[in-house]
Amino acid sequence: MNKLLLLFFIPIAILFYTSCKEKLPLNKDLTKKSYALLNQDSVEVKFPEIISGNITVIGFIFTNCPDICPMTTHNMYLTEKKLREQKIGNVKFVALSFDPERDKPSVLKKFAEFRGIDFNNWILLTGEKIIITDLLRRFDVRAIPADSIYSDDGELSYSIMHTDRISLIDNKGFLKKNYTGSKLNIDELFNDIKNLRGN
Amino acid sequence: MILLLILNFLFNQPKDEIIIKDAWLRPNGKGMTTALYFNIENAGKQADTLFQVDFEFAARVEIHETYEKDGMMGMRKVEHIIIKEGNSFSLKPGAHHIMLIKLKKDINDGKQEEFLLHFKKAGEIKITAEVKKQ
Repeated sequence: MNKLLLLFFIPIAILFYTSCKEKLPLNKDLTKKSYALLNQDSVEVKFPEIISGNITVIGFIFTNCPDICPMTTHNMYLTEKKLREQKIGNVKFVALSFDPERDKPSVLKKFAEFRGIDFNNWILLTGEKIIITDLLRRFDVRAIPADSIYSDDGELSYSIMHTDRISLIDNKGFLKKNYTGSKLNIDELFNDIKNLRGN
Repeated sequence: MILLLILNFLFNQPKDEIIIKDAWLRPNGKGMTTALYFNIENAGKQADTLFQVDFEFAARVEIHETYEKDGMMGMRKVEHIIIKEGNSFSLKPGAHHIMLIKLKKDINDGKQEEFLLHFKKAGEIKITAEVKKQ
């Protein structure tokens, strides 16, 4: 009888495990290294400690990006709105700049304020370039300076080619899934968050 | 004189044959960058070209396109956009857009801003765009 039960439950367990793995295909431990960064208020914070215990949606942006990064940020904003409407809490939203030379904390704060972002739920991060570069590598996010031009006042203006990315991190600090930031399927991310919470 | 009138008739396109719809831009702060989007309909009998956009509250205005290369997203300047006769062209997120570089004032959600579009045949067309956070 016991053998019959095992024969019945083992395939179901394998099926369940495979299905979860497909929905959340990654399992990368981000807690092995800590990064000292600055939040939008110029307060030094440690990542990933700052998100510890929370499911986290992280987007990679630069504020001089007129097209892709605002779409990524807006998609995160819409995901947060949907979670709030469904009364699902304990989810943090992080926007990490890959342009730390221009994206000082005050710039990030202003960028967020223009988009009605709620700082109770959101953290915008910048920091030293060398640290940011190392952290981006952990997420397999690439950002390369592209076309540059000197404006009339002699200021260098440049664009950045970058990975279009939003990532989902579980409450233990494991990277679980990547999404295309500007073309995010909000329902997919929403369901993945529910799945992580066990809803 | 008659020859000039004939040439003008042949090579210029009435303004009302170029129709601009759904113009909007994203909010952002002074000193930063944002993008303007709209739809161009060419109801005329000849192709027309958008080659310049003026906005008094940006240090520089350029026509750009977003592109993907090696799994990364980038932007590049384009000199103009050609809209064939009887066709339309959408400047939209993730594609062509008007890049407003180094804003001279805050662009706030819910407000409206005015722009001047320059077409080779239709000439100057003034438009009003809504500021929307999306």
